[in-house]
Amino acid sequence: MIITRVFNWLTDGSNWKDSHLNTGILSQLEAHIRFTGIALAIAILIALPLGMLIGHTGRGTWLVSAANAVRALPTVGVLVLLTVIIAPHFHGRTDTGYLIPTEIVLVLLAVPPILSNTYAGIDNVSPAVRDAAAGMGMTGPQVLFQVELPCSLPLIFSGLRSASLQVIATATIASYIPLGGLGRFIYDGLAQQDYPQMIGGGVLVAALALTTDLIFATIQRYAVSRGITGRFARGAAARDVQSAVLTEPEVSHA
Amino acid sequence: MKLKFLRSATAVAAVAALGLAACGSSGSSTSSTGSGSSAASDKSVASRLILGGPPEFKTRVDGVPGLEKNYGVVFGKFTVTDTGGPVTVTALKNGQVDAADLFTTDPSIAANNFVILTDPKSNFAAQNIVPIINKAKVTDGVKTTLNAIQAKLTTSGLSALLTKVQTDKQDPDAVAKQWLSDNGLAATGTAAKGVSLTIGSANFPENVILAEIYAEALKAQGASVKTTLNIGSREKYYAALKDGSLDLFAEYTGSILQFIDGSATATSPADVYAALAKALPTNLIALDQSTAQDSDAIVVTKATADKYHLVSIADLAKPAS
Repeated sequence: MIITRVFNWLTDGSNWKDSHLNTGILSQLEAHIRFTGIALAIAILIALPLGMLIGHTGRGTWLVSAANAVRALPTVGVLVLLTVIIAPHFHGRTDTGYLIPTEIVLVLLAVPPILSNTYAGIDNVSPAVRDAAAGMGMTGPQVLFQVELPCSLPLIFSGLRSASLQVIATATIASYIPLGGLGRFIYDGLAQQDYPQMIGGGVLVAALALTTDLIFATIQRYAVSRGITGRFARGAAARDVQSAVLTEPEVSHA
Repeated sequence: MKLKFLRSATAVAAVAALGLAACGSSGSSTSSTGSGSSAASDKSVASRLILGGPPEFKTRVDGVPGLEKNYGVVFGKFTVTDTGGPVTVTALKNGQVDAADLFTTDPSIAANNFVILTDPKSNFAAQNIVPIINKAKVTDGVKTTLNAIQAKLTTSGLSALLTKVQTDKQDPDAVAKQWLSDNGLAATGTAAKGVSLTIGSANFPENVILAEIYAEALKAQGASVKTTLNIGSREKYYAALKDGSLDLFAEYTGSILQFIDGSATATSPADVYAALAKALPTNLIALDQSTAQDSDAIVVTKATADKYHLVSIADLAKPAS
């Protein structure tokens, strides 16, 4: 029974530890988190400020469309192309030549959802709220950071979460060029006709993706204002706050 | 208002910190397969080297386990690259790996001055090129035509053809025609008249060239030939050969034997060929095998070979001076 064999593979302690010629699950998990973490950090540094700027000023919206068009690039194709171009420049015992192409394709994948959701979140803040903030004497940056950003946090988080899921799932292709990560088990399992290993690798990727999403959901829960989420809101007063402020539109990020 | 600002600032900071923490967690550790040392033969040449090859090389009988069993060679580390492709070649050239599993006909071996280590104990089974053909289509003319080709094929000759297709981007069909006329096999005749066959090939250039050579030669002898090139895996095209939708295929003795009979142990060319003749189903036969081989080989750079005086795979087990 294949499910039992997958379970046995996952629960076999020797599969988790490194041994001669074998890299264990723990090391590959760490490598996978590293690839994903680097890519997400870079993507956030690029997309979040850019999205806020575009949303606040209303200028350069074509950038959002352009970033979304990038999603159409076939990831494996770009990865192989970049590897062929970049890898020959690195000599000696280093995997930098493979790491750079991997991070580039993962960043390309993570930027569009974060960018478009940040932009959409800021852009969709109710004009009445923005007017009120300006009327209170707030400056442009104050409006952006103290009103628009908090109001758009739910959408920004949804962009982050979809980006992280995509990056975690796609980071498996790092194993297509010789890098580690959880994809190693999927590719090697297939090549070695060791299907429990292959499915086990897939299960681990799914588990990592769900765990990460849970972490983001927890951060989101405590970071987003109650006035926006309506959480704990009771009574008429709270509902009024909701109807006035809660203009979170259902912008899908597909 | 102030509170809200703080809230959003913390959120952004927390998320950014999460990402940074993830990438900062382990700057130095390498991520590839294997983490050396602690081998039985700690002081051998091999223990200082990293071997690169396809994922299944780690578990294949003639892969890492075979090298240890036949030669006592235990590498310091095994890194998964690809199946004799550009990734392996680049990794070997640039020193990410020191030894690699490549195919003997690979033009990049000569192009990069790589050294093929000899395999005196036949760890790698013979992989002579052999036409597998549907018995119903074998007339004397077809047999003579194909066996004449088999007699002229050589490993280095095949490698040269591959260079033309892979490096010079020539058309496999044109390369095949050129090879036939260069070897005096282009004469037209009627030896195969009245035979109609479908020739298949796997999806790598060498196999396509071989299929084209067979096809052009048979066409010149009056056969009516159809080609189905670039079929994916052996599972697919072997089934087609068996059920008669393909009639002729250029195969490799060791691989096809292993595919039909996973328990086969023959390794020398003659043994493998004999075992293959027995293993084939009744409707298929193997014509003459060629001396041309496309087998796995352990390949090192010229510098590594010179440094450790490597000629055969066995030299890898010697103590490193």
